[in-house]
Amino acid sequence: MSNCPEQTEAISDSELALSLQAGSLEALGVLYDRHRGLVFRTALAITGDAEAAADLLHDIFLRLYRFAAHIDPQRPLEPWLYRMTTNLSYTWVKRRQRWFRPLEDVADWLAGARKDTPAYQAEMDDSWRQVQQAVSSLPLAHRGVVVLYYVNDLSLQEISDILEIPVGTVKSRLHYGRQALKQSLGLLAGEMMPELQYEFT
Amino acid sequence: MEKKSDILLRNMIKNWVNRQRPPDSGRARLLWGAAHISNDKFDLAVIFPRPQFKSYPASSANEWPQTFFTWINENSIQLRIQARII
Repeated sequence: MSNCPEQTEAISDSELALSLQAGSLEALGVLYDRHRGLVFRTALAITGDAEAAADLLHDIFLRLYRFAAHIDPQRPLEPWLYRMTTNLSYTWVKRRQRWFRPLEDVADWLAGARKDTPAYQAEMDDSWRQVQQAVSSLPLAHRGVVVLYYVNDLSLQEISDILEIPVGTVKSRLHYGRQALKQSLGLLAGEMMPELQYEFT
Repeated sequence: MEKKSDILLRNMIKNWVNRQRPPDSGRARLLWGAAHISNDKFDLAVIFPRPQFKSYPASSANEWPQTFFTWINENSIQLRIQARII
C-alpha cells in the first residue's frame, strides 16, 4: 500500500477492509484518517465529553481491527461505524449516569458556594456550553437520532437502518428532540441568544 | 424544504461539535494498540506453552505437595526451552 495521500484516497473502503482482514496496520491508519471525524463528532455530540469521544474513537477503530474478519467488505463501512459509535456512546452515557452522576451531585453540593463565583458564571455564560447542555439534556434515544440527523446529515431511512428502528420512530424522536432543543435554545418564538446570533450571521 | 429554525439548529449543533477535534496523537495511539493486539495474538501461543497434565496418583491428600513439585519440575524444562526461543 502506498504512503502517497493521492493514492490512498483512491483506494476504496472495501479494498481497505480486505487489507484489514489480512492484518494490515496501514489500512487501519488510512481508514482512521478517512473516518475519524465522523466517529469523533458523533461520539462527542452524544456524550458531550471530548475526552470520552477521543477514547471511544480509539476503542471503535481498535474493534474494527480486532473484528475485521466479521465485516463484509462488500458493504459500506460507514453504517457499521455509525452503529458502533452510537451504541458505545449510549453505553458510556448510561454508565456515567449510573456511577458518576451521583458523585458529581455530591461534589456540586460540597462546592455549593462555587456557583456564586464570577468565574463559574462566566463559564456558564459560554454559549456553546448552552448548546452542549441542551443536547445532553435530551433523552438518550432522542439524542442519538438528533445527532445522526443534524450532525451527520443522514436521512430518516439511513438513521432507521443504522439504529434498527422503524422510520416512524425516527420521525417521532426527531420531532420531540427538535422541539426540546428549540425550546432550550430559545428558537421557538423566533428569539435567539444574542451570542449565538453573532456566531451565525 | 427545511425551516429556517431547523437550518439554524443544524448550524448551531454542527458548529459546537466542530469546535473540537480528535487528538493528534490518536492515530499513533491506535496503531500502537492494534500492533499490540496482533503481537498478543502471535506471542501468546509462543510464550505460554500448553502445560501437559498427567494423571498423577493422588491416593491420599498428603501427596499433593509431591504432585505439585513434580509437575513444576517437568513443565519448567519446557518453559525454559520456550524462553530461549523467544
